[in-house]
Amino acid sequence: MVEVREGKKIRKVMVKSRSTINDILRELGYNREEVVVRLNGKIVAEEEELSRGDSIEVIRIVTGG
Amino acid sequence: MISPGERVAVAVSGGKDSVTLLHLLAELGEMKKFEVVAISIDEGIRGYRDRSIRVAKENTNSIGIEHVTGEFERYFGETLDGMVRLAKRKKMSLYPCTYCGVMRRYLLNKLAREVGATKLATAHNLDDEVQAIMLNYIRGDLSRLQRLGPVYFSREGFVPRIKPLREIPEKEVAVYALLRKFKVHLAKCPYATGIHTEIRDFLNGLEARHPNSKFMILRTFDSVKARLSLHSEEFETRSCKICGEPTSSDVCKSCKLLGELGLLRP
Ligand SMILES: [Zn+2]
Repeated sequence: MVEVREGKKIRKVMVKSRSTINDILRELGYNREEVVVRLNGKIVAEEEELSRGDSIEVIRIVTGG
Repeated sequence: MISPGERVAVAVSGGKDSVTLLHLLAELGEMKKFEVVAISIDEGIRGYRDRSIRVAKENTNSIGIEHVTGEFERYFGETLDGMVRLAKRKKMSLYPCTYCGVMRRYLLNKLAREVGATKLATAHNLDDEVQAIMLNYIRGDLSRLQRLGPVYFSREGFVPRIKPLREIPEKEVAVYALLRKFKVHLAKCPYATGIHTEIRDFLNGLEARHPNSKFMILRTFDSVKARLSLHSEEFETRSCKICGEPTSSDVCKSCKLLGELGLLRP
């Protein structure tokens, strides 16, 4: 289980072993082009693998204007 | 792109791209000995631009950069919100982005010239550029396509434009801004809807499945443009009959749009 937070919205997601942030983003319907991800507080590349208990923060960057 | 001794005006809205560009240019200017002055355009979009300009000012204050603001209301007699209302009353079809784009460019150039800038830097990133390419392709707007991209040569009355971030993906700019902990205004312009958003979503889907697509679209466009626009750089510059600003026709685009809205002051 990992915790995924975007703003005030928090979701708990089951992860398989060797799942990456990319997998989670895809599963939750995010486009990786439009978000930056913090893993346990640190900005990381989406190729990063996840471990149980990780917490992910998704920051939407695409605003326009 | 910039030489020592220049005075570079940078357009700062307060968003992540322009705030990042402001800091990068200010730091580079220290090292390479050029001056930086910030220009903000206040189109008059309530609840959006007022906030973002406040953020822009916090940034320029914090690093001691000169900052001027040009308001649509002061220069054109009406805010963008007001123009949209006016057009609705006149039952005109007005795309806020068209008005905003034309008039913002006009005012940026005017203010950059007035503060004595030798270059005008805008923070368009790779995503912005490719979206604009696609949009103008779809609309068949060749003249807009030809004017897209940086303008390094100078024409009378026009401050040469540079786009230092045009090959940097939006996401990378965002990561950098987050890492540097810049104060930025992250919000969506209330007028950004319709085809713009669809093109952006399409491009981001394409990029996710086929990495490097955006960059290749830009590269290809640049090389096509270089082959097509051999003579277009030499178009004649005249003064607008109404406002005196430089233009390629009798009346500048800004005055034309203002005329349609009945906002031209006698
Ligand atoms: Zn004019």
